[in-house]
Parts: sequence; structure tokens; C-alpha cells
Amino acid sequence: MEASSTSSVDLQALDQQIAAVGAALAEGMASARRRPGRAVDDRAMKLTSGDRELRAALFRLVDVTPACRDLNDLGHHLAGLMESVGERPPSIAAAMRIADTKPGRVALGAAVAAGVRHMAHRFIAGAGPNEALRELGRLWKSGIGTSVDLLGEATVSAAEADAYAARCEAALDALSAGSATWPSRPSLERDSAGALPRVNLSVKVSALTPVLHPEAPERGREDAATRLRPLLQRARDLGAHLHVDMESLDSRETTLGLVGELLGEDEFVEGPSVGLVVQAYLRDSPEELERVLSWAERTPRGPAHVVRLVKGAYWDHESAEAQQRGWSIPVFEDKAECDRNFEALTRRLLDSRPLVRVAIASHNLRSLAHAIAYGRLRGGDDRDLELQVLRGLGDELATAIAGQGLRARVYSPVGDLVAGMAYLVRRLLENASNDSFLFAQAEGAPLADLLAAP
Amino acid sequence: MTPRPFANQPLLELRRETERRRLLEALETLDRELPLDVPVMIAGESRTGDGIESVDPGAPSRLVARAAVASSGEVDEAVRAAAEAAKAWGRRPAVQRAETLIAAAAWMRERRFELCALEVRECAKPWHEADSDVCEAVDFLEYYARGAIELDAGRELIQVPGERNTLAYAPRGVVAVISPWNFPLALPCGMTAAALAVGNGVVLKPAEQAPACALRLVQALRAGGVPDGVLSLLPGFGDTGAALVRHQGVHAIAFTGSSAVGLEIISAAAQTPAGQHHVKRVVAEMGGKNCVIVDADADLDEAVPAIAGSAFAYGGQKCSACSRVLAHEAVSERLAERLAGAVEVLQIGQAEAFGVDVPPLIEAEAAERVRGYVGLADDAGAVAGRSPAPGDEGYFCEAVLAAGLPADSPILSEEIFGPVLALEAVPSVDAACEIIEGLPFALTGGLFSRDPATVAAVIRRLPVGNLYVNRQITGAVVGRQPFGGNRLSGIGSKAGGPDYLLQFAEPRVVSENTMRHGLVA
Repeated sequence: MEASSTSSVDLQALDQQIAAVGAALAEGMASARRRPGRAVDDRAMKLTSGDRELRAALFRLVDVTPACRDLNDLGHHLAGLMESVGERPPSIAAAMRIADTKPGRVALGAAVAAGVRHMAHRFIAGAGPNEALRELGRLWKSGIGTSVDLLGEATVSAAEADAYAARCEAALDALSAGSATWPSRPSLERDSAGALPRVNLSVKVSALTPVLHPEAPERGREDAATRLRPLLQRARDLGAHLHVDMESLDSRETTLGLVGELLGEDEFVEGPSVGLVVQAYLRDSPEELERVLSWAERTPRGPAHVVRLVKGAYWDHESAEAQQRGWSIPVFEDKAECDRNFEALTRRLLDSRPLVRVAIASHNLRSLAHAIAYGRLRGGDDRDLELQVLRGLGDELATAIAGQGLRARVYSPVGDLVAGMAYLVRRLLENASNDSFLFAQAEGAPLADLLAAP
Repeated sequence: MTPRPFANQPLLELRRETERRRLLEALETLDRELPLDVPVMIAGESRTGDGIESVDPGAPSRLVARAAVASSGEVDEAVRAAAEAAKAWGRRPAVQRAETLIAAAAWMRERRFELCALEVRECAKPWHEADSDVCEAVDFLEYYARGAIELDAGRELIQVPGERNTLAYAPRGVVAVISPWNFPLALPCGMTAAALAVGNGVVLKPAEQAPACALRLVQALRAGGVPDGVLSLLPGFGDTGAALVRHQGVHAIAFTGSSAVGLEIISAAAQTPAGQHHVKRVVAEMGGKNCVIVDADADLDEAVPAIAGSAFAYGGQKCSACSRVLAHEAVSERLAERLAGAVEVLQIGQAEAFGVDVPPLIEAEAAERVRGYVGLADDAGAVAGRSPAPGDEGYFCEAVLAAGLPADSPILSEEIFGPVLALEAVPSVDAACEIIEGLPFALTGGLFSRDPATVAAVIRRLPVGNLYVNRQITGAVVGRQPFGGNRLSGIGSKAGGPDYLLQFAEPRVVSENTMRHGLVA
């Protein structure tokens, strides 16, 4: 597959194009980074990136913050978690010294709470869809689209699944109403196949059903279908896009089965626009992508299916689970191998247009530049490629992408700031390697290294 | 030849459809062969009979196995045969004995799908539970085989000029193994394998609810090369077990089961009638009343599924299962609400259906008994959540979460061994620890907390044999979570751990004078 797709472009030309696109994006990121306030955040990230212990302790602190009863309790947790850090930076050591008294702990707790809130504003677009609309609108006006992801507790009961579905429905309504007055942004609203919805909501199957069983995908599929169907209907009626996220491998069969089943139903032939995800860190992702493409071919619908290619966010989970159970590790263990696979799948996807709409989600400058360059060399229209990043981690990339006239979409978590931040950090905690690229970049790695072929 | 280092047997990856299909095919094949005949097997001789009917708990009209019942004469015969055959077996090099156990493990590994199917039918083990059990059986064989080789080297002692000191381990003689039905392959296998590895003869009396699984174990060991006589199989009821325990030729007893029976065995084993020249050694793994503490700062997203799994998987019929939750009052209401919701979506159904959470219980009496406890919870108006049992034939029982029970409710003190979980609010983690310290049992325990100081304090304080922090409290794995309880939950050292084999061996020390007059040693 790799051979067939690369044979059609000149490799040397591809490399040159990647270098040029990458340099332009890097330039765009650099000017975005000069925005005031950014430096402080980056310094904080840098402080913690060097010390795994400290980083883990701070993540654990953010994780437990919503469960702390008061500031004293929060200060107590800070002190307890810092005990485990071998070498404490001076600021932390000073904090530890005042944790012995209640007023000291309360003061520390207040500092932590303020820190978490500050951090939350970077990663979370708003406490609810209505609160987030301002920020989403601001991005829209600057030429950046969004996909809203509703943060919340894990779903363990039917009532919680119902509540999540209701929140999704309310979000579709609120976002549709709120975005109606946004000014026209042609680059975000149309590709060569036609109109693109303004409202884009990402949903998680694990939140739509409490009965996900890896060994019985039909159980979760049937249960989640009762909640996803009304959401599809609503999205169709409102002209919104619904993107079904992919989570751990344990739920993949359920997720694909669910989407496959529902979108085969007559009532959804003309809409809504729906997207799926392929995770390139999975060793079997090339076969998985073929499965998705052949399904798309068998299931023609009004709006073409969107396929979002991601690296995948459950690397540590998949790897640890497999080792605990004696399974072969389903994810690539070598970063370069994973990156090469990402590029191979990117090419396969771009070659499959217009069967599917393509979204490439990454914070890796090389991966994004490769997608853009390859698309251009294949003679594709820039509009037929969407580039996605995560809010809080890829903001400057999004600005840079939009600056090139390309379509950027920011995956934007929405939810209670403190609880939502804890949820996001849990994802990061489980995936220490998640943001290695960002740190490499913050460390000032040379552009040529960042753009080198994996 | 020294075997490769130990590694746990990989579980089946049941999220792959191909694996699931193979299991269903194995079940179809097995169904055509039922019922199986389980004979009394002594010194290579088999006698069939039909004193025991082992039925499918999900469909009691389906006969899974007909088993003979061993008489007291057969008990005597088996013990004598084991004593005789154990002499040569014990003299074999440890490596050779290890090779037979490893060969038995290979036999099981090749038949893992059909062994799983048998557990599904005979004990209503859901597939992934059956698979874990088969893997654990394989692990025990492989782990103890290697442990026995290590033990055979003896231990280092202090040496001074003129003497040579050695510490070696000899087999005890005949070990009686009395095993339960809830881990129908792994538990008889673990106890038997440990005894055999060290060089003992074994007489196995399996639970009357699971004779066919025990037969497969004996077949595996014989196929692996364990000689006739060294291992006998005595299917039977309680009186067969009692006769075996009392037999003067038995040197050690390995038992897993209820506290009542365990204490009886310990008391009977303490007798030294005239003519018996040894005190019987007992390894007993008994009941529990396992609690999980949930602190105010716990991550409930993590705690709820872990507690529900610990309490309700296999219908709560595990000695490690969680039966009480002690939740900090700051979160107890929220936890009760979420746990109740999780209980309501539990699926109760046939073990052979993938995704079933709660299978039928092992027998009619068990279902009846557990329904009694559910009645108590209902009478107290304390049922917070329930999942109904299907109307099918089969020993089904609904799954229940009870909250706010009166302090003297039997649900809070008795081992229920069924899908009933009680939740209580406590003012602090300290108060929860006090409750646990006051219990007669100390098998497993759990803690959900995100405060390192609390975690450390609870670790120091709780007497339980196996404490699990921020995870489910069931599913101990050989070599990773050596398993066993303290207090009235058991005597003896942890199964699947480095000390277990010592209980089946007798230490012998030799101190030899190496001084030669006029010569340098």
C-alpha cells in the first residue's frame, strides 16, 4: 500500500514541498507564540517537563483537585504528593515548609486552585456550550473551526448515559443557534464536495452506554444505538456534523459496529455529516483503514464520511494492558515506526478522496506538513484536507495553518473547568509521551530536526 | 534441563472475534460428549459409578458429569498407594518432577478452549473467568515446577572450619488435597502441583460440584508423566473428605473452602491417634468478608466499575470478592447512587453468553440461601439498586446493592458468597479501618484514595492478606499477587508465592564433622 501510493509522487519533490510547507507553518507558529501571556504557560510546562516525578505529582494533584473538600484539603494533598518527589525545585520546597499549618495549607490550596483554573482556561473552551460560544466564535472569525467535546464523568449507569446524550443534544441546539450569526468563512464552510457544517460535535461511545464489553461488542452497540440515533436525527435536522471518537482498543469493535449499523439505516442516507477515527499507533491500523474505506464504499450517503486520522491517545493504556495480560502489544513501540505509519495512512486517505473527507489530526509539524505537501503534489485541492489540533496544545499550529489559508479545526473540550481539567490530565497522566513533540519544540529543537523524515 | 524463566500464561484476547468463535466451537463439541464419566482413580485403576450428578447450573436438566463416590475403603487404598508410589517419586531429581508438571501445563494449554468450555458448563463460569482459571492452573504448574528446583538446592547456612552444614527439603509424604468448585481447575491444580513438585504423593478429593474439571486435571498430570499411584482421584461428598482428613497415612492437608469445614479439618488434623507418628500439617484457605474503603478523595469513575466487578463478577462466588463498601460520608451518597446505577445495568444470564456479568449460582441451595439475604435487605428497606434474574431454568439470583442496613444485619457480618453488596457510610477512613480490624476475617481488602499519606496509613493498619489500592480486589495472578488470608481466613502461606512450597516439604539439616586428626580438612 505504501509503495503504491508513494510511487505516484516524486519523493524528492515531496521532501522539498514538506520543507517549504513546514517552514511556513513554523514561521506562523513563531508569530503566534509572541502573543502575551503565552510565555508564562510555556515556562510552566518546561519546568515540569524536565522532571518526570514532579510532573506526575502535579498531574496527580490536578486530578484530585475536584475531589478535595476545601482549600485546606487541597493543600494537604499538595504536600502529600510532593513528598514523593525526590528533588523539589526551590518554589515547591518553600511551599512544603508552610504546609505544616492550616493557614499555610489553605494558602497553598488557594494557589493550586488558581493554578488549575488558569490551566483549565487554556485547555477548556468553556464550562458549557453557551459559555464556550464566545471562544468558539472568536476562533471562527480568525478562520479556525472547532469540534466540541463534552467533558464529564465516566458513564457507569443508564442514567449517566442518558444525561450525556441529553447534554450532547443540548449542545447541538446551543451551538447551532449560537453559530448562526457568525460571519461567513468560506474556507471553513465549503470544500470541493460541498457545504461543511459550522457545528461539529465529537461524541464518545463510552459515554453513551454503561455496558461496553470488549468480549460482547453487540451489548454496548445495541445500548448505545438507542442514544446515538436521536443525536444523529438531531444533527441531521440541524445540519450539524457528528464525529464519533475512537477510544481504547477494547471499544473499537463496538464503536465501528455502532456507526456502521446506524448509518446503514435509510433515515440517515442524506445526513447528517458523520466522522470516524483511525488511530495510526495501532499496528493493525492499515487493515482497519481498509475496512473503514470499504465500508464507506458500501454505504454511500449524501455527505461523504469524514475520516480523522490521529496518532491515538491511549498508548500507555494499550501497552500496559497488553503486558499485564500477556498479549502482543497492539501499538507501535517505536515512535519513528508510528510516524511512518501515520504518513502512509495519510497518503492512503488522501488518495481515497472523494470517497471520504480527510482530517489529519496531529501536533507533529512534520506529519501535518507531509499531509499538506502530499495533497498538493497529488494535485488535490487544499480545501479537501482538514487539519486538526487539540485546544491548549496546538493553538499556535492552528493559527499557523489558518494563516496558510488551510482549514484548521481545534478539538475543543467543554465542561466544568476543574473537573474537566482533572479529566484531561488523567488522559495526559496515562500518556506521558503524548506531548513529546511539543516539548521538543518548546526546547527549541532546530526546524530541520522537527521536519526530518521519521 | 533448567526450564525457561517463569512467565504468566497469556489470557485469551476475547476482544478478538476469532478467539470468541473458537470458544463457542469448543462448547459445541463438548456438548456432544456430555455427560462425562468421572471415576474413582487409584494406582492406575478406574472405577466408574453414578453417585454424583454434576449438572449445568444454568440448565440443571443438562447432566455434565456422572461421578463415582469414593468409599472409605477406597480412601484407605488411595492413601496407601500414594505413600508407596511417593517413595520413588520423591527420589526423582527435582528437575524431572518439574518436567512432568511443565508437560502437564502444555497438555492444558493445548486444550485451553475445551477446558474453558467445561468450566462454563460444569460451574457456570463466564468465558473470561473460565479462561483466567485455566491460565492460573497453567501458571501454578509452571511456577511450582521452577520453585521446587530452587528449593531442591536447599538454603545456605553458616560454615566454619571442620564442619559442613546443609539444609535440604524432603517431601512430607502423602498430601490430601480438598478443593472447591469456584476455581474448578486452578485451585485443585495449585494445591496438587505444589505437593507433587516437592515429591509428595497426592490424594485429590474435589468438590462434588466440579468432578469433571478435576478429572481433566488428573488427566493432564498423568499425560505429563506423573506415575500411577502418586496421584489418586477420589470424587465424593463431605464424608469422603472427612475420611481422607482423618486417615493416619496423610501427612499434610491442603484445603480451600468454607471456614466451617476448614476449622473442622484443622481440629481433626490436630489429633495424633496411636500409631500415627506425625502431626498433620494443614494449609487452609477459608472464608472472607472483604471490604473496600472509599475515601472522600477517591476517583469514583474508577471506584464504581472496580467495586462492581469485585462484588458481582461470577456472582460474587470468589473468596476474594468484595461484599462490603465502607465509604467516607462525604461521598457515600454519590457513590451509592452511582453504584446502584451500575448494579442496575448488570446482565444476569447464562455463562456461555459473552458479556454476561452475573451467571447462575452454583446450585439451588446457594441461590436459595442468597435470596434469603436479599429478603433481609428488602425487609430492612435497604435495597438501593438491583438487577433482576431471568426467569430461565437455572440457579439464578438477582444482584443487589444494599445501603443503610441496620448495624446488626447478618448481611454485614456473614459470608454470603453471592451477588449481594452492602454499602455503609463511615465518618472517616480511620473508622473504616476500625471496622475491618474488628472482623474475624482478613482475606482481601481494597482502598480507593488519592492521598499518599492515607494510602500508607491504611497499608500499615489493615490485617488483610491481600490489599488492593485503587483497583479491583479480585483476580490475583500467580507470582504477581501471591494469595491468601490471615486470621480466620486461613492458615498457611500464600498460594502462587515464593513461600508456598515450604509447606509441603520437611526441612532437614545435616551437620557433618569434616575434621581429620592430623590432617587439614
